[in-house]
Amino acid sequence: MTFDYGGYAGKTLRIDLTKGKIIKETQSKPKLEKYLGGRGVDAKILFDELKPNINPLHSDNVLCISTGPITGLLGPTTGRINVATKSPLTDIYGNSNAGSDWGPELKYAGYDNIIIKGRAPKPVYLCIDDEHVELKDAAHLWGEGVFETTLTLQEEQRGYDTKVAAIGPAAENGVLFCSIIFNLWDAAGRTGTGTVMASKNLKAITVSGSGELRVADPERYLEIVRDGWLGVLNDPGFLMGEHQALGTPICVNWGNAQGWLPTRNFRESTFEGADSISGEEFRDKYSTRSSPIPGGRACMSCPNRCKRFGRIESGKYAGTRGSIEFEGIAAFGSKCGVSDLEAVFHAYTLSNDYGMDCVSCGNAIATFMELVEEGVLEDIDKLGLRFGNADAMVEMVHRIANKQDKLGALGALGAYKAALKIGKNAVDYTTSVKGIDTIACDPRVAKGFGFTYAISSRGSDHLRTHVVFEMIRMPPEIGKELFGSEGACDLMSYDGKVRMVLWHENLAAITDSIGSCRFMHASYYAQYPVPELLGKLRNKKEVNSIKYHDWISAATGMKIDYKKLLEIGNRIVNIERALNTRFGMRRKDDRLPKKFSKPIPKGPGKGQRFPKKQLEKMLDEYYTSREWDLKTGLIKKSELIKLDMKDVLDDLDKKKLVR
Amino acid sequence: MGKLIFNYEKCTGCRACELACSFHKEGVFAPSKSRIKIVRIDEEGLDIPIGCEHCDNAPCITACPTRALSRNSETNAIVLNPDFCIGCKQCMVICPFGAIHYNENREIFYKCDLCDGSPECVKWCVTGGIEYYEGIEEFPRRKSADRIQHFLLNLPKSTRSIATGGGNKE
Repeated sequence: MTFDYGGYAGKTLRIDLTKGKIIKETQSKPKLEKYLGGRGVDAKILFDELKPNINPLHSDNVLCISTGPITGLLGPTTGRINVATKSPLTDIYGNSNAGSDWGPELKYAGYDNIIIKGRAPKPVYLCIDDEHVELKDAAHLWGEGVFETTLTLQEEQRGYDTKVAAIGPAAENGVLFCSIIFNLWDAAGRTGTGTVMASKNLKAITVSGSGELRVADPERYLEIVRDGWLGVLNDPGFLMGEHQALGTPICVNWGNAQGWLPTRNFRESTFEGADSISGEEFRDKYSTRSSPIPGGRACMSCPNRCKRFGRIESGKYAGTRGSIEFEGIAAFGSKCGVSDLEAVFHAYTLSNDYGMDCVSCGNAIATFMELVEEGVLEDIDKLGLRFGNADAMVEMVHRIANKQDKLGALGALGAYKAALKIGKNAVDYTTSVKGIDTIACDPRVAKGFGFTYAISSRGSDHLRTHVVFEMIRMPPEIGKELFGSEGACDLMSYDGKVRMVLWHENLAAITDSIGSCRFMHASYYAQYPVPELLGKLRNKKEVNSIKYHDWISAATGMKIDYKKLLEIGNRIVNIERALNTRFGMRRKDDRLPKKFSKPIPKGPGKGQRFPKKQLEKMLDEYYTSREWDLKTGLIKKSELIKLDMKDVLDDLDKKKLVR
Repeated sequence: MGKLIFNYEKCTGCRACELACSFHKEGVFAPSKSRIKIVRIDEEGLDIPIGCEHCDNAPCITACPTRALSRNSETNAIVLNPDFCIGCKQCMVICPFGAIHYNENREIFYKCDLCDGSPECVKWCVTGGIEYYEGIEEFPRRKSADRIQHFLLNLPKSTRSIATGGGNKE
């Protein structure tokens, strides 16, 4: 090993597809010290190397794929991979993250990240086999689905030991919300990263690595990692066993009970058919293994195994199989008003095979269903687009992927751009923030989630914070201690939510940058200092927890404490903000769709809404804490100096984009 | 008499065992240097742990021309003496489980030695995908009883659920 910091593989792969050139670069140490890896480093690369005004599908767009310093090093949930680019769906910062064992494999092959530019003259795929890296002809794969592509490439190479990231035909057709799909089922789903990859004529990236990774302080590292694993295994939520038993589909019935399960394109937030599309139903009818964890599959080194594998044995959709996850079930299920789990499962795997983002695809269909019912859009292709029509939904998935007929072509633009094209008041029926549609949690009930949607750097999204804190009946004392208000533990309260969002946002930036998973610090609360606080409350003598700061320090040899950790998180949030500032995002864009200012008609969240006035008040508090200009939302010079981001400041200053 | 038991139906494919093994034995994180291997068959949602079964009538011992492989009478493990190994790969070819792994970089075979009776992989397996039994004679009985219990109680279906108010779902 030649690289000074442990944990990292130490090298970057730079691919120029236009010239067919491959360069192996040594990683820049100062960049890693400031941004760690993954999402942080990717955002910095985009800031430095991407021309802000280009069309996202132009060959000059940059596609970054990154791991972090602790990826593939035995820590809990260290199988994530980060993808960043300029999004064709939103025309701003695009970023998505997937979990599998593809990222670790890349590091075992000797590379931390890949930076892809240009456009290949004809379809190719990138083959990485330790030090042998080459671009190979992909003519035989172009037009094939993700499954066929992945399996063919595995057969051609090292079988199951070859890990494949692929795009599907929908991406080739230019559907704006396509994913990059890792190892068949794991999607870097959102913001259209797959569409960008297709525009570069890059069909797939295969990796196999036989190398090794070292850490700076092996003895201490193992101790910290063991403490981290025990932290997760002893987390009260983990011990409850619900999430492990059902995976993320647990959220169908949970969300329905708490009243935040989006139904019929967010008209309501409880679904009468929730039981029939629930995680329990999936486990009982379609799971393939009779074990304590039916169909449960994990990413690299993850005790949580949230993916659920299943198969439909008979009937109309016999043969459908795959891994399933909550967001997709809600997108094709409750959001479309469909209570037939087989149709939902089928639409879900179809969408995967075509290489489309399930969430945006389901949302587009749900939006069209509402527009047709409201008489804003004509069902021109006579599909019977109405809430609850499963056949029409499945047909729409095919049509969108192939841009077939008028509605298919419209749907391929994603809900927001389609609504702009439809005109009239169609946009009022979308749920988009900054051009991307909302995920499966009603922000009128879950206020922390709602506020997150407004401020997220990639548009309407919960994963920038994942404030499950407000949903899990955390003891109010912890909310008071951490975020200054017991309201932070109350789903429908606004109190303490801004501080809660801030903490989660900084930590989430860290998680994505080091290559760990959101579920460890938000969902389960295994990250310092929550287990310590819970232990104190319950008079526990011994407490285990994940300490990202110690973990990164022992792995890399950098010296990072908890305070510095949060500062790095803050810096990553700011580099993304700087990037979006260049793309024209201001305070006016940190908003919630009109739809959410109307009250919920029934269920536990009856009468709840997210008023604009309230949002503005929260934005004031948030901007003040972040030291962003209250009026414009631009970052203040003093903040960039404080965060040691002089180069970013100089660049923004030239364009008058700081205050 | 110890033995590793591989329960493919409980393995989630997290590969913590591979990393724990390579770190314990080699001080690095490298699945290619692990004595145990998880084969992930993604298209069927299966994860299959593959490791040495330490067979009583071990074909690898028979096949080895230099007696580099032998049995440790204390742990029952078949162990490899790298000093005697000539790299002919006969053991790798003849092993019915594919449990012996050859690393091209180091030109050396990796072979499970049961970590002197305290296997590291088992310590990191949280689902029971790999288990270690000292008294292996007990195992078939226990396993068969487990299966019957699952069948009788229809276990996967009776897992309680808080969100739906608990109880069996049928």
